[in-house]
Amino acid sequence: MKRTPAFYGLFSLVVLAALLFRVSGLELRPMHHDEANQAVKFGSLLEEGQYCYDPTQHHGPSLYYLTLPFAWIGSGTSFASLNEVILRLVPAVFGAGIILLLLLLKDGFSPPSLFFSGILAAVSPVMVYYSRFYIQETLLVFFLFGAIASGWRYLQERRWGWAAAAGFFSGMMFATKETCIILFAAAAVSLVLVRVLGGSPRSRENPGSKEKNAGRIPPVHLLVLAGTAIAVSILFFSSFFQNPRGILDSVLAFKTYFGRAAGAGFHTHPFPYYLKMLAFSHYGNGPVWSEALVLILALVGCAAVFANHSQSMSERLFLRFIFFFTVLATAIYSFIPYKTPWNILPFYIGIILLAGQGIVFLLSLSRKIIVQSLIILILGAGLYHLGLQSYRANFTYSTDPRNPYVYAQTSPDFIYLVQRVEDIARLHPEHKQMLIKVITHPDEAWPLPWYLRGFGKVGYWQEVEEAGPFSDVPLIISSTDKVDRLQLHLRDNYQSEYYGLRPEVLLALHIRKDLWDKFIDERTLK
Amino acid sequence: MCPRVQSSFLSISRSRPVILSRSSEGYYVELGPSVQWVQIDLGRPCSLNAVLIWHYHSQARVYRDVIVQVTDDPDFITDVQTIYNNDHDNSAGLGIGKDKEYIETNEGRLIDPRGVNGRYIRLYSRGNTSNEMNHYVEVEVYGALSK
Repeated sequence: MKRTPAFYGLFSLVVLAALLFRVSGLELRPMHHDEANQAVKFGSLLEEGQYCYDPTQHHGPSLYYLTLPFAWIGSGTSFASLNEVILRLVPAVFGAGIILLLLLLKDGFSPPSLFFSGILAAVSPVMVYYSRFYIQETLLVFFLFGAIASGWRYLQERRWGWAAAAGFFSGMMFATKETCIILFAAAAVSLVLVRVLGGSPRSRENPGSKEKNAGRIPPVHLLVLAGTAIAVSILFFSSFFQNPRGILDSVLAFKTYFGRAAGAGFHTHPFPYYLKMLAFSHYGNGPVWSEALVLILALVGCAAVFANHSQSMSERLFLRFIFFFTVLATAIYSFIPYKTPWNILPFYIGIILLAGQGIVFLLSLSRKIIVQSLIILILGAGLYHLGLQSYRANFTYSTDPRNPYVYAQTSPDFIYLVQRVEDIARLHPEHKQMLIKVITHPDEAWPLPWYLRGFGKVGYWQEVEEAGPFSDVPLIISSTDKVDRLQLHLRDNYQSEYYGLRPEVLLALHIRKDLWDKFIDERTLK
Repeated sequence: MCPRVQSSFLSISRSRPVILSRSSEGYYVELGPSVQWVQIDLGRPCSLNAVLIWHYHSQARVYRDVIVQVTDDPDFITDVQTIYNNDHDNSAGLGIGKDKEYIETNEGRLIDPRGVNGRYIRLYSRGNTSNEMNHYVEVEVYGALSK
């Protein structure tokens, strides 16, 4: 397979399939509390034009600023008319964009290898699942990939434009998630290892080449790279110079994130957490989940990196870089006690690249048609299984705890609570201006602020005693452990119901009796 | 006395009795989504003193529209007495109940039948706060043979 129009046609189909997988049914899964948190943060940027970087949470600003054009086109400037689909389109588009960026790796990977890597990235359950999640991870992977690909193009062509592009993507990585320093560290060490073990591509391939193409990088290009990266991150962290303090905060944030990495609490998981999740997961009577095919192919790809001598020297060095980077990033992420399943993405993209290389290596082992047909048949079955799992993960089991990528996910039952609130508001004279008191633990309040964004008077408290008088309050939402104390105030004047928020977490909804009776009367009449 | 158990859901055969036993802790019978019921045939009419229900005990969740009825009619058409009903919005279609929703615990839910008489006990539910399914770990019925 060469870079012919047919290759580009097939590759376009892969990107299209990836996009379809990522954008279909984005409204199906209720907003995760982390997504809701990001959405509400974005809401103030959308409506008031204000964004102020918070070094203690929410990560970097890029997600919010990149959501702006999607929101302007999809719903205008009103936060209330925004919806899940518009927000999730952002990671979905960038998720498919990762595959498009593969094309920049020409000369580093053969066209078949890029093609197979593209297919694996398009159907990988974990890649698809978190490309439909309004959090920073997919954007981080997109910018990471952009930085690596631009860096590679720079090394091939030595043009300052590619140095600037690498700087831009690196700056965007930092503006997306501060923890990108893990990836910078893995990339830097990988470059050193490649250099120590194999030299530079230009110096090996063109030992007699002139200064321009020699291994040494001109300092001005390094300045362009660093300058662009710094400029981009300053622009974003300072909210485009509206909040200069954000620049300093972006550095101070490391204290927060180092602390969080060490003392992870609920998010503490053992070293093999990520690889085990990818290799084999099975909960209760749910299906078996496995991306072992990709892992095995990546191992074959690793062997190919060192055993296959049919590639050019530059290809070999680039593959070695990807190999070292993937191994180091996987090890570092696995070593850090703080783990969330979406942190798989930054190193898994390396695994996918190696897997694509592994497929090409396997197919090159024998020229016999029957052997190649057998390999293609097995790969086809494996890809079908990955696609099937992806479908299940994103449509059938998108909120089911038996899906390994479902992590503290908001229960579909929570949507019934929102519907009930909407139903009662319809019957209240003030409609969405009726007062709602929310008395919950802080971690049990989300994603309420997102779902109640259209309501004008919503107050949040942590304790019953802090919430003021309850007489005439139409609706109260509370944590379950606050129900007994609330009951002393509410007596028989309220109808209470329970709704699932997350596994093991319930919320109680208390509806004033006159509104409840009105609701039942209306329902009976229907 | 060996009670016979039936249910509204096909996964429990109507013709094959299922014995609910305490030794089966950690296991549960799962019925599909929407309103489902299990029915216990005590063999003879009894005066009931207590009904204890465990829908689930390994997770905090609330089962919706828990309704318990008693009668001598195996088809639950005549002389049906409701001893518990927390379907406050009549979503199960069996009438509005005044009992309160409750969170499942390992202690189960004790229902006082106030001495009603009947041979058949039917327990309804309509999904729960974690998923749409209906579950039963155990049901205990206490009473004495009617004179």
